[in-house]
Order: sequence, then structure tokens, then C-alpha cells
Amino acid sequence: MAKTINLILNVWRQKGAQDKGRFEVYKADGIDTDMSFLEMLDVVNERLMKEGKEPIAFDHDCREGICGACGAVVNGRPHGPMAKTTLCQLHMRRFKDNDTVTIEPWRARGFPIVKDLVVDRSAFDRIMASGGFISVKTGSAPEANAVPVRRRDAETAMDAAACIGCGACVAACPNASAMLFVGAKVSHFGLLPQGRVEAKERVRGMVARMDAEGFGNCSNHYECEAACPKGISVSTIARMNREYLSSQEMIWTKES
Amino acid sequence: MNGSSSHSRSSIGKKQLVAATGLFLILFVVAHLAGNLFIYGGPEAFNGYAKKLVGLRPGLYFLEAALLVVFLIHLDATARLVLENLRARPTGYRQGAPAGDRQGHSAAGGSFASRLMPWTGAVIVAFVIWHLLDFTFVDRDGPAGILPDGRSYGLFGVVYNSLGNPVHCVLYIAAMLCVGTHLSHGIQSFIQTFGLVGERRLPAVRRISNALGIAIALAYSSIPIYVQLSFWVFSRRGV
Repeated sequence: MAKTINLILNVWRQKGAQDKGRFEVYKADGIDTDMSFLEMLDVVNERLMKEGKEPIAFDHDCREGICGACGAVVNGRPHGPMAKTTLCQLHMRRFKDNDTVTIEPWRARGFPIVKDLVVDRSAFDRIMASGGFISVKTGSAPEANAVPVRRRDAETAMDAAACIGCGACVAACPNASAMLFVGAKVSHFGLLPQGRVEAKERVRGMVARMDAEGFGNCSNHYECEAACPKGISVSTIARMNREYLSSQEMIWTKES
Repeated sequence: MNGSSSHSRSSIGKKQLVAATGLFLILFVVAHLAGNLFIYGGPEAFNGYAKKLVGLRPGLYFLEAALLVVFLIHLDATARLVLENLRARPTGYRQGAPAGDRQGHSAAGGSFASRLMPWTGAVIVAFVIWHLLDFTFVDRDGPAGILPDGRSYGLFGVVYNSLGNPVHCVLYIAAMLCVGTHLSHGIQSFIQTFGLVGERRLPAVRRISNALGIAIALAYSSIPIYVQLSFWVFSRRGV
């Protein structure tokens, strides 16, 4: 038989970007411990709608921990108390009966609040558009063995590619810095021969966009790595720092 | 577009400016410590070292000016970074918890040293001003250098008289703890900000950095403690 628990929720409610917002207290009684955190919110929302109240808005998509859509700060931790776990993969068995659970949106100037727990993460899309891609001719795929890749580089690039762009790094950072995200993308592309070609323009473009979006500056707290649901290493930030410095030489020697 | 100015205006550029100037300041702190330890050799050794240092002028003026400029750049770039960081999160969390101590995650998140960087830095600035007034801009052959036996011991005596004051002694040690805390995060930050090591060596760098910070704080703090003990022995002997 499934166990059920009763919770008290402190949820951030905000009607829109212009609303000041406030915390509201909700009772979440009889929550099945086999539910995910988002399913718990679904149940609370169903009850709110039955009472004729506005449901809590939150982002979600795959609910399998691979899309990066969901995310909220639960009891002070992005994606809740478990390491390497997205909010949708967090289960209610991690909570105790009569726990008080505080649920807040990502807080960063770069992520303005749209409604309740939903934040606008399009800043990440604009950073990606500033260099987070590889320019290739479309057409038939090249022969797979034609481009040799070092085993270790392939593995490290793959580790960085695990980033789902959820924004937990920004939410966890005391400075609301996006450097783990950008570091992951710079590493992901820059370690592979196809992405190496544009490595310098990429790191300059993405860092400039990141700065313009109003994210803070990394001060090496490494909260981001601890909060990341995909365990992206802060060594990706080190690689970005190194590449950024070496990309400068190009500006100094550039013709235009 | 000017390449160097776009670098120093960017987030990473400013961080690298702080790291580069920080390295210069770390080297100064270590060299200064090495000189200070001459105090254990007695008045002749200590004053002899101070004289040799003064004998390096006018070249020393150049080094001192460079040190001042580096110090100011370090402060300026840091202040900009800190202000940007404060602006980057206009509304804080109601409930904050370090992510590092979450279940199933072994690596610690931010240490207290990393969170306190601007504060330990501010204490160091205040300390440097006080320290210069106390030891550098002082008449070494004046009354400040006379020890209880009535003889003048020059700079050695100045140091003994200042650190012999229990309040000075405690403030000095507190400032050195701030320096050690600052460096324990600063040294590893330098390595990370220039991307000198990868994932595998970073934990070792963090341990070495913490150990160096503690060692530097202890070595500096040993001097006021030694001076206090010397005065205590001196008064017990009743000479």
C-alpha cells in the first residue's frame, strides 16, 4: 500500500511580471509518496481549481529529467534536496509527514518571472544563438570514421553535452552567474574537431551575450556544480576561462 | 574595437584581472612574510634585513609604486564584479541553503572563505592602512623604538612596542586570519580563473590552497604571539 503524507507548502505566487508577488500557504494533504514533486503540484492545482482558485503555474515538459523545462527552488535548493535530480524526478518519499516545503522560482535578473514559478529563460536561447552551434554545410552526413576524435575529448565533450539548460546553475549561484551553462556549451562544442574551428568566435560571442543578459560573475563558489541535475563539472568554466583569454589574441592580431 | 578594453570590460576579463593582480599580491605577502621571520633572529638580523631593503632604493620605489597600482586595480575590478553580482539577483530567496550539502553529493559547494571574500578583502584594506601608519610611516629611531630596558632598538623596537600592546596583538592576529581566509580561496581561484587545471586536479588545488592560506595566517600570527611571550618572559625575569 502506498504511504501518504501531509505537507504545508509555502509557494511564491505572482500574477505577472509587474506584480509584486507574495508567498501563499497551501495544505497538501494525503500526498502519495510515490508521486513526483510535479505530480504533487498537479494534485494541489486540481484542488485549487475545484475551489475556483488560480492554479500554481510551473514549467514542465518531459517529466523524465531530460528536457530541462522544469525547475523550482525547493527549501533553498534548485530542484530540491537530491543531488543530480531534476524536480520532475524528485519523489515525495524524500519528504517527511508534516514537512513545510518552500517553493520559489529561479531568482536572477537574467530570468524575469513570467508567472508564479515560471521564469523566462530565453536569455539562454540568445546566448546559444551567439555562438552555441557549429556551422556546417547540410547534405549527406560525412563518413563517421573520417574525423578522428580523441577518446578522452569525446567523453569530456559528452559530459558537457549532458547540460539540459534548465538554469539551476544560475539559480544556485550566489551571484546568479550563468558561467556553468556557458562553460558547458563552450566545452561541448570546443572539444570536438567540428566545433574547434569556430571556438574563438564562439567563446567571445557567448560570453558577451551572457554579460549583456545581466547574469553575475562567477566567484568560484561551485554551488552550480552541486545543484546541476546533470553533474556538469566546474572544470568546464576553467576551460571557458582559458579559451576566452586565448581568444583575445585573435582580436589583437585581427586585420579588421 | 579595441581588443584589450573589451577583454577588461567583460566578466571573465575582469575576473582574470583580479586573478593576475591577486597573484602579484600573493607573491608580495609571501615575500613580506619571509622578511618578517627575521624577527626570530633578534634585533641585528631584523634591522639588518630592513636596512638592506631600504638600501635597494630607488629601485624599491618602483616596486612599491607597482604594488600600489596592482592593489588599486585589484580593488577596482573586484568592486565592479561585486556590484554586478549584487545587481544580478535583485530579489533574494526566502530560504537559502548551500547546494553542496545535498543528499548524495559529496563535493562541497561554496566555502565560508569564498562567501566572505569581499569582507575579508575590506578588512585587509583597513589593515594595510593601519599597518603602514604603525610600521612604515614612523620614526624608527624615535621613542617608538625604545624597549623597557631604555635602549633604542630601531624598527625591531617599534615592532615589539606595537605588538606588545595586547589590543594591537589581537587586531593583528584577526587581520592575519582574514588574510589567510582570503588567500585560501584566492589561490585556488587564480588557478580556476585562468583555467590552469582540469577536473581531476581541481580537488588537490583546493586542498593545497586551503593549506597555504592556513599556513600563511599561522606564520604571520606567530610573530605577535612570540612578541607577547617575550614580554612575558622579560617581566618575569624582572630585568
